[in-house]
Amino acid sequence: MGKFGITLLSLLMIANLWGCGYNDLQGIDEDTKAAWSEVVNQYQRRADLIPNLVATVKGYAAHEKDTLEGVVQARAQATGIQVTPETLKDPAAFEKFQQAQAGLTSALGRLIAIAENYPNLKADQNFRDLQSQLEGTENRIAVARKRYIDRVAEYNKMVRYFPTNLTAKFLLHLDEKPNFTVADEKTVAKPPEVKF
Amino acid sequence: MSRVWRKLARLIVVLGVMLVAASALALDVPPLTGRIVDLAHVLPADVAALLTSDLETHEAKTSNQVAVLILPSLDGEPLESFSHRVATTWKLGRKGTDNGVLLLIALRERKMRIEVGYGLEGTLTDLRSAHIIRNEIVPRFRAGDLPGGIAAGVHAILGTIEGSYRAEEVPSAHTRTGQEPSTFQYVLVGIFVGVMAGLVLSHGLQYTRALLGSALAFLVAQFASLVLGVVAAGITALLLWLILQTNRGGRGRRGSWGPDFMSGPGGFGGSYSGDIGFSGGGGDFGGGGASGDW
Repeated sequence: MGKFGITLLSLLMIANLWGCGYNDLQGIDEDTKAAWSEVVNQYQRRADLIPNLVATVKGYAAHEKDTLEGVVQARAQATGIQVTPETLKDPAAFEKFQQAQAGLTSALGRLIAIAENYPNLKADQNFRDLQSQLEGTENRIAVARKRYIDRVAEYNKMVRYFPTNLTAKFLLHLDEKPNFTVADEKTVAKPPEVKF
Repeated sequence: MSRVWRKLARLIVVLGVMLVAASALALDVPPLTGRIVDLAHVLPADVAALLTSDLETHEAKTSNQVAVLILPSLDGEPLESFSHRVATTWKLGRKGTDNGVLLLIALRERKMRIEVGYGLEGTLTDLRSAHIIRNEIVPRFRAGDLPGGIAAGVHAILGTIEGSYRAEEVPSAHTRTGQEPSTFQYVLVGIFVGVMAGLVLSHGLQYTRALLGSALAFLVAQFASLVLGVVAAGITALLLWLILQTNRGGRGRRGSWGPDFMSGPGGFGGSYSGDIGFSGGGGDFGGGGASGDW
């Protein structure tokens, strides 16, 4: 019985150590930060493409001032927001970042829609190249966002579930992280309005 | 007797219909049966064989894994998300260097995509992918030459990513097993702990202790996933039961169990060695690449 009891006790202790999730929490916290960096990185990549794109469109459709300026302004707004890992701790800052990027997405959508009206622009090699790059970047953004959403959902679960919530709260002082909301997904997925 | 058979037949039909209905809801990722998965049957056998051998030599030389998937239809699934799903499910490319590429073609939608792994985004850029689609593939597809377009596209991809990685750096075990080592380790550790505990505890109340062992195996392996936890518990219970059977000298009743247990682990390991076919090396994809239509 003694042997049995000791074995059982030690095994329970090992299981208990796993159960508190100290390492898991640390690891997944780091994972969410990495996923977030990837999101920011891809948004930055998109912002870098825009000056060239605007210049190219201007060459063919200079009188579409409103749309062009809309893109430039939305870009300035999006890049003007300082993003740090601290942004993740502040839901308001996160919301601001998200809205600025969504604004840029819809401004860009309008710009691409306008290009449809200019056959010469559409045929321009430079424009087609920029458009491929923009499409590629939008796709990467979608992937990076999805990964971030998955990571944060996993992280938030650990922060809330018992008993890992105790470790998170009292030992590591970790809070839930903000995630991209469904309402935001809708605005991103919504096709841009085209006015004639 | 015949009524029983009819009932059984009806049950099988119902199950089959349910299975088909379930699979129709979302387009499943097709199994990775080779480097060229031609579900639309557009490639003549000789072209497919030639391309396969080109892709093979390329992988042997550079460790880049390139695969082609030709689908009759996307069934309404968005091209980009499906292509990403296929590429990440197949895990093309080596783990760590993520040097895989997928060329996906959907015939009915007349759409295609080159999905590029993280590690090749620097050489096979979105722009280069778009150019391959625009200049190599689309003109041939428009002329009705599907095999020629696919071959030209594959060769352009291989030419672009040639020299970005070298095969010598490849730990060969990694390119073969598509299994995540950490997941697998949990299961192995779980079974080991479970069996050991079960053996230590198995004086006296044998079957109850065996159950305790499998419970422990479940506890450890469920860190990987719930299903694997159950699997580990099952294997542990089976192993413990077999060991207890042999220890009791219970071979008289079912003599074949003893030798079976001895060959058991060998057979288990054997099911993982998918050396004959082609399998992904654990590469990851971040959405790089380009799409196009014809």
